[in-house]
Amino acid sequence: MTAAILAEQLMKTYRGRSGDVEAVRGVDLEVAKGEVFGFLGPNGAGKSTTVRMLTTLMTITSGTARVAGFDVASQPHETRRRIGVALQEAGLDARQTGRELLVLQARLFGMSRTDATDRAQALLEWVDLTEAADRSVKGYSGGMKRRLDLASALVNEPEVLFLDEPTTGLDPASRLTVWDEVRRINNLGTTVFLTTQYLEEADQLCDRIAIIDGGAIVRRGTPSELKSELRQRLQLDHEPTLDDVFLDATGRSRQRVAGDVQEIHA
Amino acid sequence: MKTSLILGQRALRESLRTPDSLLPTLLIPLFFLVVNVGQAARIFPSAGTEFLKGQNYAAFQLPSSLLVAASFGSAALYLVEEVEGGYFDKLRATPIPRMAIAFGRLYAELVKMLVLGAVMVLIALPFGVRIEGGILGFVVLITVIALWSVVFSGIMQVVALKSRSAAATQSASLVFFPLLFVTPNFVPRHLLTRPMEIAATVNPVTYVMEGARSLILDGFDGPALLRALAVIVAAGALMTWLTVRTINSYD
Repeated sequence: MTAAILAEQLMKTYRGRSGDVEAVRGVDLEVAKGEVFGFLGPNGAGKSTTVRMLTTLMTITSGTARVAGFDVASQPHETRRRIGVALQEAGLDARQTGRELLVLQARLFGMSRTDATDRAQALLEWVDLTEAADRSVKGYSGGMKRRLDLASALVNEPEVLFLDEPTTGLDPASRLTVWDEVRRINNLGTTVFLTTQYLEEADQLCDRIAIIDGGAIVRRGTPSELKSELRQRLQLDHEPTLDDVFLDATGRSRQRVAGDVQEIHA
Repeated sequence: MKTSLILGQRALRESLRTPDSLLPTLLIPLFFLVVNVGQAARIFPSAGTEFLKGQNYAAFQLPSSLLVAASFGSAALYLVEEVEGGYFDKLRATPIPRMAIAFGRLYAELVKMLVLGAVMVLIALPFGVRIEGGILGFVVLITVIALWSVVFSGIMQVVALKSRSAAATQSASLVFFPLLFVTPNFVPRHLLTRPMEIAATVNPVTYVMEGARSLILDGFDGPALLRALAVIVAAGALMTWLTVRTINSYD
């Protein structure tokens, strides 16, 4: 069976003022269809850069990536038709209403005006924004913007949905709502590739995770596999948390990551 | 093309919802018109000033004001706002030709300037300004101005995409703005001082201004109009090439 995402030796090098910067250094990824895959890492580890390469928003320095069966570098249009993207800090046009934004997004995916209007209505109901649908996005709360961003990423019924830190900056209640949305989307068969700094979020939502640090993947597996591997390796007398796995994988102490990594509890 | 129109309609809707950014495009050029005419109309009375061809000084000044209106580059400011806010990436992630994102805004700029240009000319008519080229001349006049606004805004959009900064984009428009005044702005080119005449001759904006002015003062002056259109086509081709190149290599 074709993987939903298959990346081999993915690399991204930027030309910085003080020379070349290797943001992503040979990342291999294989995400199965229908999976919720978590991509974790501290700030600046290369999570967003990887997502931007996989979603055709950024050129790949070397290596290959196929998403929904298409090569992202040589078949960007085919790839874009099959993916949904909600990037960090919901990028929305604040001057439009929620409905206008969704209709526009649907039309950009080739739908007729009527189909786009129907699709927008269905999505507004899906994310519970019907009452606010005809209000300017400018007046939406952070949680509403995030839900609208999610809805806009779903207009084309994507095979693979990329969510880059979908709950960053949200209050706990809004965060739980987004988690519910992600589960519902995944239950419809959509593969979800999720980056997050919140380890509890990865534990709750993801079938498998990979931890990236310094542009390279340092751990991968299911949350329970990673925890039990750490328990055995360090001969711990208690079940480690995903935080412990993260700290061990990234070589950080709790003091060092204070502020970088946050937790929430459902 | 269809995608550009869809995005253009959105940009027009956006302009209508931000009258605070639309009104200065109308009011500032009218302010320039009133001030310039107020300062120089007595120096250039219509009776004894050959280059006015029987009209008043406002007729001579109107093309300058129209070009000021065409040089606000607001499309670029909206675009850079979307780059900074992340919506630009949302659009780039859709299966549309990327240049449609930039050209959609330019389509809106064209429509906006056709309307604003027409309003400005209509405001000037009761003050004794005649369009010698008649109704067709009026249509060609606002079309020339609107096309120039597309070219100017397109170049500003390239700056916006390169810099990804609202501050840098605004600064760039201030760099281009003086070009409007290194032109036969107050008097025809042959009456300028020699250094100013040379500067105006190498400035492409001069030919757009002279073409537009010819429609007001002369009717249809073929060579003047052709020079204006040649400048617009050449600058438009350069702008299109730069836009396609910049947006397709945007990382």
